[in-house]
Amino acid sequence: MSTSPSDPVTEVAALYFDGRSARAHTVTLGVTDGVLHVAGGEIARREPLAALRVSEPMGDAARLISFADGAHLEVRDHAALARLLAATGHRDAAVVRWAFEPRMVVIMLSALLLSVWLMMQYGLPWAARVSAPRVPDGAMTALSERTLEWLDQALTRPTTLPPARQQALREALSSVASVDGQPIAHTLLFRSGGQLGANAFALPDGTLIVTDELVALAGADAPVLAVLTHELGHVQQRHGVRMLLQGSATALLMTWYLGDISSLLATAPTALVQAGYSRDMEREADDFAVKLLRARGQSPELLAGMLEKLAAAHGEGQASRSGPMGWLSSHPDTAERIARLRSEDFIIH
Amino acid sequence: MKNPFEHAPADAAGGNPFAADAPVPQRERISFSGRGTEYFGIWIVNLVLTLLTLGIYSAWAKVRRLQYFYRHTTLGGAAFDYHGDPRAILKGRIIGFMLLLAYNVSFQFSIIAGIAVAVALAAVMPVLLMRSLRFRAHYSSWRGLRFGFDGSTGGAYSVFLKWPVFSVLTLYLLGPMWHQRMKAYQFNHARFGSARFAIDAPVGAYYRIYGAAIAVVLVGMAAIGALLGTLADGNPAVFALAPLLFILLLLFVQPYLSARLQNLVWNHMQLDGHRFESTVSARRLYVIMLTNLIGVVCTLGLFLPFAAIRLARYRLQSVTMLCAGPLDDFIAGQAQDAAATGEEAADLFDVDIAL
Ligand SMILES: [Zn+2]
Repeated sequence: MSTSPSDPVTEVAALYFDGRSARAHTVTLGVTDGVLHVAGGEIARREPLAALRVSEPMGDAARLISFADGAHLEVRDHAALARLLAATGHRDAAVVRWAFEPRMVVIMLSALLLSVWLMMQYGLPWAARVSAPRVPDGAMTALSERTLEWLDQALTRPTTLPPARQQALREALSSVASVDGQPIAHTLLFRSGGQLGANAFALPDGTLIVTDELVALAGADAPVLAVLTHELGHVQQRHGVRMLLQGSATALLMTWYLGDISSLLATAPTALVQAGYSRDMEREADDFAVKLLRARGQSPELLAGMLEKLAAAHGEGQASRSGPMGWLSSHPDTAERIARLRSEDFIIH
Repeated sequence: MKNPFEHAPADAAGGNPFAADAPVPQRERISFSGRGTEYFGIWIVNLVLTLLTLGIYSAWAKVRRLQYFYRHTTLGGAAFDYHGDPRAILKGRIIGFMLLLAYNVSFQFSIIAGIAVAVALAAVMPVLLMRSLRFRAHYSSWRGLRFGFDGSTGGAYSVFLKWPVFSVLTLYLLGPMWHQRMKAYQFNHARFGSARFAIDAPVGAYYRIYGAAIAVVLVGMAAIGALLGTLADGNPAVFALAPLLFILLLLFVQPYLSARLQNLVWNHMQLDGHRFESTVSARRLYVIMLTNLIGVVCTLGLFLPFAAIRLARYRLQSVTMLCAGPLDDFIAGQAQDAAATGEEAADLFDVDIAL
């Protein structure tokens, strides 16, 4: 093989396959003046570099140089090939080089962790907030009906509250449930809580469920109404739908990310995310409740006192029985919220 | 200068497989040289770029991933290669995404629309799966020769529509038979160059494997039931543990199934007189899968690339080719000329469905 002084030639050992048979030919290859020479045994080929394609580097794996007619060279002598490629001015795609540079891998890893954190912290909640008002009412009703069905089947039993008391609470709530003169659509249901104990929930379509145990714990109507205004806050601000959208998006991402290993595992984080409303949502619902209470000339203390009673009721050896839907797990940081409701913020304005 | 043969597997008993006058090689073991630390780089770059491009890069990511695994897989001193065009894969992914979206959205409108879309999906899915098999085979190569798949449309409807319906209607009693038909369709129509694959795994063997797996699941479920019954003692909250225990049970059965099925398929495979031998041990696969799972959970997924490499290494290196003649003797099939390839590629796309 000829060499020219301006173009130092490196000879590289390779296997040549003609693309028509599986026969391997041992050859050496070199480059002179932009032309690749392949020689060895019965093989002698010259091909301009422009007509060739070099496969991306993949660590120790063989690199392939392909000809347009389907033939290819398989090279495992990486050091010699690197010298040859450098001499021809070949440069691998940046994306592929990154994968094998420790510094870039560290940068990519940090970028990944940062973007996942940003997405969970700000991206998903924002997207859920924006899209929640667009969820059709039909979907919310269907979702709520299914949830109620599940609750009735699995956890709650029919109420034992006298109809007169139910009616009184319904009328009282209707008179409270309006914001800026606009009534808030809602339905109030009573259930015996069973293992849920004293509890109240809001379903996305405005169905509020309050347990007999909570009514008993409150003693009077006013504290029950205070809790229900808080639940109305969750409905009004579509917290349920937002949590569901966030949860589904997380599940989708996790399934895609863990798809290789097991889609079963993907459900665990979703369950964690869906365990309850976020702290911000609880604050929003509390603010809303305080607004409604004040409109009727009542004190936020009603809600704070009720929260205290509920925390105590669930704390008395019942915590372990309260289950995944219990007040404490779905309403975190109760102590912090009680303090906030009693703080200056709420007393002054 | 390095000798290109120094990477040839040490157990190539027949000596240098490339020398023209070499004796017939007897056993050629598949070797896999991928490394977790190396693949981690590819995986993380793929992941970040896929996130940044909202999924579009995933097609390019898939090609890089497959190239890494193919090119680190060596048989008889030569590597496999993957040539899939990312744009064709993207096309397939968009089609798959649209189908999935149509399916999920249609039920929101009405039951009838949902059923209509489900029926339409059932009608096109076999063709998509067949094309996907063709794509995968056509763009895989070894020693410069392409693999190929020429299963018919009728065959696809039989194994991807008729048999699934049969097996559901018989409460999965025909499930193992469906699996046998599917593997037969997949491999009896597969080629390497001009050489044809053929599989003769008997249906009884599938029934034995699935029977053993189902027996383990049933016994396990009974044990879980008994355990929870004792633990619960009037407190139904304990039954929340049931799904978790069931997942653990499935994790126990899955390695058994995949080990036995891989062995069954490869031990009954032929390629023009060459045979194969697969010796995956269910116990070792179980240890690998369990430690992989623990690693993935403890690292919040960062162990995934290492897990993928460990699994691929064990499964690939368990396969040996029992050669009936020199590997040099394979020749290209007639469909391999460039024009046909170009034409065919125009209407090929890949749909990601695991078989
Ligand atoms: Zn709340």
